[in-house]
Amino acid sequence: MQPESAPATSGPVNRMVVAVLALVGVFLTFYLVAYNLGWTPPIACGAGDCGVVQSSQYAWVGPIPVSVIGLGGYLALLVLAIMGLQPSAARSRAIPFLLFAGALFGVLFSAYLTYLEAMVIQAWCRYCVASAILITLVFVATLPELKRLRGS
Amino acid sequence: MKKFYLIIAIVAVGGIAVVGFALRGGGSAASEPVDLGDIANEDLVALAQGMVYGDPDAPVTIMEFGNYQCNACRDFALQIKPQIDLAYIETGQAKFVYYDYPHPGFPHSFLAARAARCAGDQDRYFEYHDAIYSTFNSWSRPESPYGHFNDLAEDVGLDTEAFESCLDSDRHADVVTANLTLGQMLGVPGTPGIFIHREGEGGANRLGGFRFIDIQQAMEAGEAN
Repeated sequence: MQPESAPATSGPVNRMVVAVLALVGVFLTFYLVAYNLGWTPPIACGAGDCGVVQSSQYAWVGPIPVSVIGLGGYLALLVLAIMGLQPSAARSRAIPFLLFAGALFGVLFSAYLTYLEAMVIQAWCRYCVASAILITLVFVATLPELKRLRGS
Repeated sequence: MKKFYLIIAIVAVGGIAVVGFALRGGGSAASEPVDLGDIANEDLVALAQGMVYGDPDAPVTIMEFGNYQCNACRDFALQIKPQIDLAYIETGQAKFVYYDYPHPGFPHSFLAARAARCAGDQDRYFEYHDAIYSTFNSWSRPESPYGHFNDLAEDVGLDTEAFESCLDSDRHADVVTANLTLGQMLGVPGTPGIFIHREGEGGANRLGGFRFIDIQQAMEAGEAN
């Protein structure tokens, strides 16, 4: 009984973790979006140079703030994780794939942004660092999805 | 599953509270003109103090209504004003007074004007004024220039903590707004708007241009009278 039931419970539990972490990411990135869109001009930044990072050219991709991309990513992961918890999604191949691929893209994009902070802008934004840690945890939490993909 | 939805609900409520607090408490830097109410003209003039460069007792006053986000004002600040300084300010013939004229169409100009006045609190107004114009291309973009203005404060050698605290507030927002309103009352057609006032004369004369020769001619015309 144990070997059979373990994969069934570990899947949803990891998705619960993804959902909670993604929700935290939604709030974190929403705050940065509010800053980028001028709803909160001075960023509350106790340590680091959030203002420098958020004012740099790398904080925008064309007319879109990077924080909006982050917010969209976390929202997508949140929705996917909650969808993946529904009994109807038990046999879905799309949800494990999208969860893992989305988290992988997020962690790579975040690594690139962290590289820019360290090497190019040479300033740190604690919200960006927090997001980088968060997406890394999300990525780790999506690793069981690989097992689900192989198993299905 | 019930436990999970309970955790989600707790995170959601906590997140809304934290972000709501941060948006309300963290963002108080005035970046737009404020409502001065029904202010009397004499009170407006008293409030709209320009920033003086040179001998305050000099007989001639060269006034500029400037907008930190305007290209022509930058050119005036970096190319024409140094000539004025050399010819008239340093010789004590005139003083230069800078008034803010942050057009609503220039999103960062009001914050820039306030930033310069925050530097003025530490008696470094014109150093910061020059630094803002010198770095015009670095901050006059769609992104918020807030970080850049803080960096400039450090470059100019200001007490950055005091500067940041000033920039984060609505300090000088009333004075900058009064400057803008005064300029509108005087009919400043565009920036830089240059006026010359001589001691003993009633009003100030608005110059048609802002080249050094325009100022030179106006100064010489005054000497001839």
